[in-house]
Amino acid sequence: MFTVTAPCAASGRPATIHSENDSTYIADTSGQSPYDRRVETYRKLWNFLIPTQLITQYAGNMGQISLGIGWDYGNRRQYETNLLFGYLPKFNSSRAKMTMTLKQNFIPWRFDFDDKFNIEPLSCGIYFNTVFGHEFWGREPKRYPDKYYQFLSTKVRINAFVGQRITAITPKNKRKFVKNITAFYEISTCDIYIRAMFQDSKVSLGDILGLSLGIKVQMM
Amino acid sequence: MKVKTLLHGIAISVLLYGCGDLFDFHPYDTRFNGEQNINANNIKRIEADCLNKDTLTIAFISDTHGSYGDTEDMVDDINNRNDADFVIHGGDLTDCGTTKEFIWQRKRLAKLRMPYVALIGNHDFLGTGNEVYSVMYGNTDFSFIAGRIKFICLNTNATEYDYLAAVPNFDFMETQILSDTELFDRTIVCMHARPYSEQFNNNVAKSFQHYILRFPGIMFCLNGHDHCLQEEDIYGDGLIYYGAPSASRRSYLLFKITPTEYHHEVIYF
Repeated sequence: MFTVTAPCAASGRPATIHSENDSTYIADTSGQSPYDRRVETYRKLWNFLIPTQLITQYAGNMGQISLGIGWDYGNRRQYETNLLFGYLPKFNSSRAKMTMTLKQNFIPWRFDFDDKFNIEPLSCGIYFNTVFGHEFWGREPKRYPDKYYQFLSTKVRINAFVGQRITAITPKNKRKFVKNITAFYEISTCDIYIRAMFQDSKVSLGDILGLSLGIKVQMM
Repeated sequence: MKVKTLLHGIAISVLLYGCGDLFDFHPYDTRFNGEQNINANNIKRIEADCLNKDTLTIAFISDTHGSYGDTEDMVDDINNRNDADFVIHGGDLTDCGTTKEFIWQRKRLAKLRMPYVALIGNHDFLGTGNEVYSVMYGNTDFSFIAGRIKFICLNTNATEYDYLAAVPNFDFMETQILSDTELFDRTIVCMHARPYSEQFNNNVAKSFQHYILRFPGIMFCLNGHDHCLQEEDIYGDGLIYYGAPSASRRSYLLFKITPTEYHHEVIYF
């Protein structure tokens, strides 16, 4: 634990900010005016929006490689929300494409080993991916008769995944920017593949599942 | 120790899983290995096999999208009857135009013992589907000659282009009317969506009829798209449009063409 002092915007007098293992908060609320307290609440709310994670992920129906930021929250930090931007090379099409993903993770269990490692035997969640390009549409263009194609859109896909993770924790005396690093894999599929599997028994689970690999860096 | 065991477990399961197509980049990633230019490759075989044949037997199948089991049974049925010289697929290989669906369909159709060609259907345009089709199968308008009959395969999915493209392509039709006339006496025109369907550019339906009737010895037209059995003289000019049912209806059309006439049959499997 270390302590820094920073000028308080409200009163000009120093307020103490404690940075502990997991969170940053402003202490010493005694003798503050309602205005000071409101400023603190305001800061806390915006503090919540500081990304705590950097993520890179390979494959997973969101591009070949995705980079993004993440937030973790919950009593045991069991929830994570990621915002990822993916790059999809052109392959047999006319040009490369960008994708954007909003991902919600749930990690129910964490097993610690000597403050050096931890293992999360299950991570699961869903993510929405959108791909940019004129050939994709979110809603059926007007050229089609009503409900012509009986599925949602060619632009937005809903994916579901399960996976596992292992985390290496940086010793406290050696930390610079990185609190811990997590390697993970996920097995995922998306809505139109699930639909195809339910429509025809010859489409197997193995046909529609894909593997993705990733690294998460926890900053704070 | 536990960590090591778990890591080994993960490594082994990843390796086991590696037998298949491991990583999915995107449903519309257009990433695939294996056969390309299927139509051109198979047309070479068809033209060589049928060069001096005076009687042809053709299976016309269509709209196999999403019906992989039915497509497998249909392929088995065509293989078992052993009389078809080649197979024409009337389009709609996929439901959503995803690259995986094209691969799944190609795997089933590759089991055909005789060569096949596939037209592009409106569903095959979705997302990057038309780009996969172009590499996997080839041009959306194409033709070939088998036993002195010219087969014209046309892209008629005008709605997919918002009517902005030359679909149907009259220039292509004109070229086909005028070229290689010494090599064929009769013509069969194949398309996915027939005139007056919601995919066709019906503003030019009459012009289309005009061009069709200019083909030397025009016999009949074939179409898919409507998922039901059709046999109709659309324009009242004596030219019959035969529509093949979808694979899910578990039937297809079989045409036997002799030098003077043709017979058709609906095959249920």
